[in-house]
Amino acid sequence: MINLFLIIKRINPVRVFLNVPFAVFLLLALLVSIPGETLAADQPPPNEGDFVIIGQLLDEQGQAVKDAVVTASTLDGEYALAETESLEDGTWRIFLVEVPPEELQISINHPRFVPVTLTFKMHELEDLDNVGLYQVGELELERSFNAGFWAATLIFIGVLLLIALEKLHSTTAALAGMSAVFLISYVGSLFDPGFFIFTFDRGLSYINWEVIFLVMGMMIIVAIIEATGIFQWMAFQAYRLSRGRNWLLVLILIAITAFASALLDNFTTMLLMTPISLQIGLALGIHPIALIIPQILASNIGGISTLVGTPTNILIGAYANITFTDFLVNQTIGVIFALIAMSAFILFHYRKDFFKKSADISPALYQRLEENARMEDPQNLWKAGTVFLLVIIGFILGEQVHLSPAVPAIIGATILLIWLKPDVHQMIIAVDWTTLVFFMALFVVVGAIQEVGLLGLAASSMANLIGDNLPLGIFMIVFGVGTLSTIIANIPLAAAMLPIVDFLTVLIPGADSKVLFYALSMGAAMGGNGTLIGGEANLVTAGITNQTNTPITFREFLKVGLPVTYISLAIGFLWLLVRF
Amino acid sequence: MDVKILCLTRGGEGSYPNQDKAIAIAKERGQEMMFLYISNIEFLHHTAAPKVIDIEAELDELGEFMLLMAQERACNEDVTAHILVRRGFFQEVLSDVIEEFNIETVILGSSSGETGIITEEYLHDVTCELHLKYEVEFIILHEGKILKTYRVETGDSGCLDGQFED
Repeated sequence: MINLFLIIKRINPVRVFLNVPFAVFLLLALLVSIPGETLAADQPPPNEGDFVIIGQLLDEQGQAVKDAVVTASTLDGEYALAETESLEDGTWRIFLVEVPPEELQISINHPRFVPVTLTFKMHELEDLDNVGLYQVGELELERSFNAGFWAATLIFIGVLLLIALEKLHSTTAALAGMSAVFLISYVGSLFDPGFFIFTFDRGLSYINWEVIFLVMGMMIIVAIIEATGIFQWMAFQAYRLSRGRNWLLVLILIAITAFASALLDNFTTMLLMTPISLQIGLALGIHPIALIIPQILASNIGGISTLVGTPTNILIGAYANITFTDFLVNQTIGVIFALIAMSAFILFHYRKDFFKKSADISPALYQRLEENARMEDPQNLWKAGTVFLLVIIGFILGEQVHLSPAVPAIIGATILLIWLKPDVHQMIIAVDWTTLVFFMALFVVVGAIQEVGLLGLAASSMANLIGDNLPLGIFMIVFGVGTLSTIIANIPLAAAMLPIVDFLTVLIPGADSKVLFYALSMGAAMGGNGTLIGGEANLVTAGITNQTNTPITFREFLKVGLPVTYISLAIGFLWLLVRF
Repeated sequence: MDVKILCLTRGGEGSYPNQDKAIAIAKERGQEMMFLYISNIEFLHHTAAPKVIDIEAELDELGEFMLLMAQERACNEDVTAHILVRRGFFQEVLSDVIEEFNIETVILGSSSGETGIITEEYLHDVTCELHLKYEVEFIILHEGKILKTYRVETGDSGCLDGQFED
């Protein structure tokens, strides 16, 4: 008590209140706690009785509309007889103690849909009276483009821009978006109910925890494997094996990078491959960019082959129940063809570098290169490799029992941590929590635009355009998403496209093979090769090369990346047509 | 180690002309020189992708390799060159190294425009500040030619945009 008194005594209330952030927080807290007309409500009439009216509410995509308030009242809504809310499946039931003698009104209200009023005439009421049950059937509600719709849309665009323009850290941008959604929902709705987007619980329900745990598990495994120096060692072996044939060197590096990216995230793969590749390029007297850019392109393409190869594949796999084996079987051959075409283009584009005589490297530099490429911890490598293999087997076997891939990933990561890193502090820093928070916040922001119907609108528009034409649908998604992905961050883009593709999958005949999801996978990843800002692996690689005055300019990347993107998208599209 | 000349370099082909000029200056003066590489991972701070590896160590090794190449170039001209890789921000690291090794001359390249890590204005400000604080000569190079020189003249009280030489 004495300590509390001392603390209170030390606090200068004026200074505290004049602290602007605190003042804003206090004001918001007061606003939220004030009961307003929208929050305080008279008790709704009880929903009980022997007579029941049943219906189901759907949106324009045929998705159930939950939490719509359904009120039965007498003529002109003067007297409310019963009230209920629609359930998860969109159904609602109104129970009446007695059937009104004249007209009955059913009002349906939902913040994101245009209110509907159904009027039941006497003969319909007679049916209800006789049978005790009246089925309204399915009712499609019309979207209301109210303040909440525009707010959520602008927030989503704002987050994309903040990430693209690097005004804020990606995680901060996503958190800002999530905070804005809840602020508008809870505070904005006090002034206008149309601002309401969703509740906190509803917002959190959009977080896909399977993705979070799968990413977390793979993060730990990747950290341990890559710390062994295996990739730097492989790059050096490529240099040795090529024996001065630069064209062979780049092909081996492309293969290594693509393979690594298929199993481990391409961002970290490029972080590790770039420094050693720069050294090799300079040692050989070739422009290092001629080695680096092909590796970036290969990392974006190679990752498409497996569930864990790209973050977008993890999102797609979790959402659409596409397994590790599904990706491997349905994507790998297309990826290989795309890599072959890419390699041919690269060899042509950089022919002056690849087909000239390599410079001789001094023994001292060779020795330093060898030292930099040594494996740091061979013992850890075989342990990590064994566990990683078991995780992959876990993915494949787990498919038979519908086991989420997050489970083998987390188990494998835990085994590695216990086996190799008993220090708790090391365990904590092995996980990049910033990335996990980014995913969580992003899910909520994308959930907001799904909730307000923006994605539904986009889905309907695309459905109208595509009709029953599945090849056209595949084409639009591969090239449309691919093109957008050249300038928009592919993770939020893929997350936003998932419900749209889901809707199209139901609608278009033949799409139940999930081909449209594979198309999304290809478009989102391959599109990242289009420009320097198309992918985070691109940007971070450019950041590293810039550290050595070997810059990758936007223009330089575009000259190679854009053609490769559209060549690989075309191959990916053709492969999907053949495969499905 | 009796190093008097410090040359900041990022390595890479783009730096070769400036490295060669710095080596020529050291040879002309008959002094030992040191190549300094400053490693900074601030460019990673905006990404949301996992950064779970020790990239700083990788960049240090990269920097050392770059400096070894520069050292070999100096050796070919019979100039003794030492190498040093430090992590941190440009001004702080430069300041520390000047003090630590009693550097008399600092040679660095001018800002490389859109691909440069620092702007021309920042470079000028830092150069002036350190030049006056440590009374160290600064030579700014561009594509192997001297762009600006900051010398401590007797009686000078300011930082002058000075003498342009070939």
